[in-house]
Amino acid sequence: MTQTKKPALTPLSPSLRANVQAVNARFGGSSDLVVRLFRSDAAPERELGLLYLEGLVNTDVINESLLAPLMSMKLPPHMERKSDRLVEALRTSVVSIGGMKEAAALEEGLQQLTDGWCLIFIDGSTVALMAAVGGTKERAIGIPQTQTVIRGPQRGFVEELGTNISLIRRIIRTPDLHVQTHKIGTQTHSNVAVMHLHGVADQSIVKEVYRRLAAIDLDGILESGYIEEYIQDETFTMFPTLLNSERPDAVAAGLLEGRVAILVDGTPIALVAPTTFFSFFQSPEDYYQRFDIASFVRTIRYAAYVMSMLLPALYIAVTTFHQEMLPTTLLISLAAQREGVPFPGLVEALLMEMTFEVLREAGLRMPRAIGPAISIVGALVLGQSAVQAGIVSAGMVIVVSFTAISNFVMPENNMAATSRVIRFGIMIMAGMLGFFGIFISVLFVLAHLASLRSFGVPYMSPIAPGAKNSGLWRDVFVRAPWWSIMLRPLDMKLRNPRRQSSGRKPPAQRH
Amino acid sequence: MKVIRLLLLCSLLLLQTGCWNRVELNDIAIISATGVDWENGKWVLTNQIVIPKAISGQAGGGRTAAVNVFSSTGDNFRIAISKASQESSRRLYFSHNQIVVIGQEAARKGFGPLLEAYLRNHDSRETVDVFLSKSTARLMLEQLMPLEQIPGAAIQRMIVNEEKNSSSYRQMTIHQVLMDLLGHTKATSIPGLALAGSEESTDKVEALSHTSTPSKVRLSELGLIYGDKLVGWISDEQSKGVMWLTNNVDKATVSFACSAEGKGREGSSARILHSSTKLKPQQRGDKWVMKVDIAAEGSLLESDCGGNLMKPEEVREVEQLVEKRIASIIADGWEAVRKNKTDVLGFGTQIYKQYPKAWKAMESRWKEEFPLMEIELTVNMKLSSTGMSGKSFKEAQKKPGL
Repeated sequence: MTQTKKPALTPLSPSLRANVQAVNARFGGSSDLVVRLFRSDAAPERELGLLYLEGLVNTDVINESLLAPLMSMKLPPHMERKSDRLVEALRTSVVSIGGMKEAAALEEGLQQLTDGWCLIFIDGSTVALMAAVGGTKERAIGIPQTQTVIRGPQRGFVEELGTNISLIRRIIRTPDLHVQTHKIGTQTHSNVAVMHLHGVADQSIVKEVYRRLAAIDLDGILESGYIEEYIQDETFTMFPTLLNSERPDAVAAGLLEGRVAILVDGTPIALVAPTTFFSFFQSPEDYYQRFDIASFVRTIRYAAYVMSMLLPALYIAVTTFHQEMLPTTLLISLAAQREGVPFPGLVEALLMEMTFEVLREAGLRMPRAIGPAISIVGALVLGQSAVQAGIVSAGMVIVVSFTAISNFVMPENNMAATSRVIRFGIMIMAGMLGFFGIFISVLFVLAHLASLRSFGVPYMSPIAPGAKNSGLWRDVFVRAPWWSIMLRPLDMKLRNPRRQSSGRKPPAQRH
Repeated sequence: MKVIRLLLLCSLLLLQTGCWNRVELNDIAIISATGVDWENGKWVLTNQIVIPKAISGQAGGGRTAAVNVFSSTGDNFRIAISKASQESSRRLYFSHNQIVVIGQEAARKGFGPLLEAYLRNHDSRETVDVFLSKSTARLMLEQLMPLEQIPGAAIQRMIVNEEKNSSSYRQMTIHQVLMDLLGHTKATSIPGLALAGSEESTDKVEALSHTSTPSKVRLSELGLIYGDKLVGWISDEQSKGVMWLTNNVDKATVSFACSAEGKGREGSSARILHSSTKLKPQQRGDKWVMKVDIAAEGSLLESDCGGNLMKPEEVREVEQLVEKRIASIIADGWEAVRKNKTDVLGFGTQIYKQYPKAWKAMESRWKEEFPLMEIELTVNMKLSSTGMSGKSFKEAQKKPGL
């Protein structure tokens, strides 16, 4: 349904041989196309053909549920050997497989073949049977690699879409959880599932997601990042306007809040939309541990994010423009460190920041076996030796290290990446204009943030525009106790904005 | 394209104007103390520059002095500062200046130009502490101090410590001095610095390798300023009286004798933990009387008075002894100030606040009127604790029946 131009359909021929040949021709004689011709006891004069792609199907299922019953079937007498009746009979009383379809056109069959179904042609019939016998080898459900929690479910998405949908269905057990699957990618025909909670999510947003997905006309969708770039509201922004997660519980939480989840076959990363700036600071664990601790940790996260964006810039500004702001002893010890450092503060900072970025990228990309080597080079050679050699000052190394570490506090990697990039711009502004430069940059970033939208929802809500309902503020900077979070967080016209009735505060139990 | 053009324009803006007041940390000479002297009709400005390398814990520290002192002369302050570039490799940086020491000569001549320079320039902070020096200011800046590496900071900490713990002197910032001198009485008091010990000055690092330094900088005497000139000095004891009168006693130790007349050896002492002074001027005939009301609270530190301090009435007796002692300290201070005819106590300001009309009539004659004033003292001392023992040690030793 997603393709705008539908290719012309080729009707099947009554001849089995012709059909098999046509399929074979379309696959270009691919070696993994298995064609098995056989005859059944029931209709020995008519040849049957079974086609499937090796590796995409479970051969045990084919042998036990398809080939065996087909070969040894006995048809009831009223179901004579008429071809149209035969297909019906096979489907209703012989094959013991759940997923069965009929195909009248060659293209339909081809599509299902690539999805891991098998195709049964019957000589003399222009209708082919298709059975779901898929069962490729999949990675087992494991611990999420990127978003870890201490307390909370330890299941992460895998690459297979069906499994991922089931993971969410296992959390939200209601028929109101609607799933619509689209095939996107003119070559890859990737399955993209859109999930929403009917009666909670705003229908117009769900429709908007469908509309934006339908507009994609790329040849291949390999990861949800492809989809993200097509459906986000603003391309020229460094801030992610779609949340991504590999945690089923995080996606389920999003669905419960009235958001729409987009799952793409072939990747464990799901997208959640619409989203706000503040969602990126909310770790699933915030909701699993005590609210006071969670609020504290969340505050730290905000602080660390600001630090990771501004700290090197502040250091540059203070040491090259506003020395009077430092306590005297600190100034003297910084000055002592800088003695003999040949570069200006800005160059020194850029040098160290670039070094760290290179180290980071190297640590990510290199083969696992040489991991220890990079830590030695990074920590010892670049950190300690650079200071000893007098190329950079020790204070700068501390600043860069702290900046780097505060960056890793973010639960969402793409938001953390944003601050890494913006940091450089602010550093240059700080190096040229001091605090004034930092101020302008921050103002610019804030103005930009306020201008963003995610599927029509203001990115900075509930701050800008400020939400009047205090209930919407209970899960922004702090996480209030669960019983007090009455409203779903999105500041938009939700079908059902209340998530629980009020007055659910547990009474203090005194004995 | 439009965006790229805009960005290019913006970067041009940065390059055109950016960086004009950027200065790297290793391009500035951090000054920790400034000294002002008057020699041969010229201002001599002495700067104590911190050598950061000598201070940081790494190798090399301790072998060389942490500061360098140099002077420059000129007809005014800023020209003397700008002349400093002829002998300094780095720009002088005044924002972290801790103290300003005014030499006795300069103080007698009048240090108005210094205050002018401080008011006008943004890089000189008004939180800088001001001191007078009994000799040249330069000599004070040259002295090294044990414990602290930067002598300027050390002197600054010394006055803070003094103000907090014994209240003989108070910290006078440039701001405070300006407030006082621009006020109604045009008088203020500034603590003095002197070199105690032998004549040999402690200006070598080697001197610090001994357990006692040959000489040391210490707070000594209070300089009384009128207008912008030094009028006279009063002693440490008299300075304490001034501090009591100006409500600047925070914590102090008062020693007192046991006899009711306050005579004899002062064998006991009390710690003042909190004190407040209220001044109330009154006109009696054509004479002004200042009613001074002091409420102090403290604890007994040391006692050789005998008696049993477990009894409240005996505690009251001790309190009265302390009250008398405080009164005599104040009277000493008052006499000394009165003799110098300089209202560093702010009595004039008190009169102005409560009797502005009378003050207006008297303002021009205040220098003559002030010494004619009398003070009426009421001291109220409350010993909130006599320490952990009741009887004194000697008393406790006397066994009954012996």
